[in-house]
Amino acid sequence: MNSPAKNPLVRWFHQLGSPPYFDRFAARWSPWAYVLAVMAMGIGLYGALFLVPADYQQGDSFRILYIHVPSAWMSMAIFALMAVYAAIALIWRIKLCEILAMACAPIGAAFTLITLATGSIWGKPMWGTWWDWDPRLTTELILLFLYLGVIGLYAAIDDRRNAARAAGFLAIVGVALLPVIRWSVVWWNSLHQGQTIRLFGESSMDASMVAPLVWMIVGTKLWFIGSLLARARADNLRREAGKDWVNTLVGASR
Amino acid sequence: MSYRDYVVAAYAVFALILLWDLVVPKLQLRAALRAARQRASRSATRKPPTELQR
Repeated sequence: MNSPAKNPLVRWFHQLGSPPYFDRFAARWSPWAYVLAVMAMGIGLYGALFLVPADYQQGDSFRILYIHVPSAWMSMAIFALMAVYAAIALIWRIKLCEILAMACAPIGAAFTLITLATGSIWGKPMWGTWWDWDPRLTTELILLFLYLGVIGLYAAIDDRRNAARAAGFLAIVGVALLPVIRWSVVWWNSLHQGQTIRLFGESSMDASMVAPLVWMIVGTKLWFIGSLLARARADNLRREAGKDWVNTLVGASR
Repeated sequence: MSYRDYVVAAYAVFALILLWDLVVPKLQLRAALRAARQRASRSATRKPPTELQR
């Protein structure tokens, strides 16, 4: 069996935990992730707005689905990832995982806000109301509050490492909400429609409407990678202020 | 296009929030680099302590 130092993948993983190495990695790949995200979402949005036929019942209002659904999936996926990073940071005390966990929170909150706002805008013409205390809507709103709690807790404590640990606990506990959001439309009598798109198994969405949604799902994931790297890089630099590698970096970029 | 105003409003919200998500990390990065630069220049101009000051 190869030792960790000899296995290039394991060695790269260990190197990534080093703040200066991560800074170079994030500075290099964040812009690429943004560019690829804009391209993927550009293709997806063009298809969603101009190529896909209108729904026979909802008319063109169904086009909101192409931003609502990928954002909703991101809002839950980012929370799960944040909890994983927080758990790794708590167990193995890896500083970079603390930084990545805390960088997840504002991006997840942004996608949750998009989900709630676009759902509300779609709900007005379709349900006749901007808001309803429906299980799916209410649990998604609680998810936004949890994200705000993580952001607030991280900002409220002066010591960065203690702040990340406290906020990380909230992220781990908050994971219990994710299955409730996911199955809320099954467990309770919900105004929100049931599952339309399935990763495994047949979707109840017509095949002609699926391609732009796939582009948007890929695009939002790439956007998240770009934003995560950019936010984590800024936090990493703040925490490492005064270290030799940061002085060398700002000396070089002066 | 039916429900045009609702579709436009939803896509505008999406674009605005993603724009915020693009701009904020760039501002944070700029602030972190500026703070590091000021810190580095302060420590470079600081005079070493003399015998009388000790």
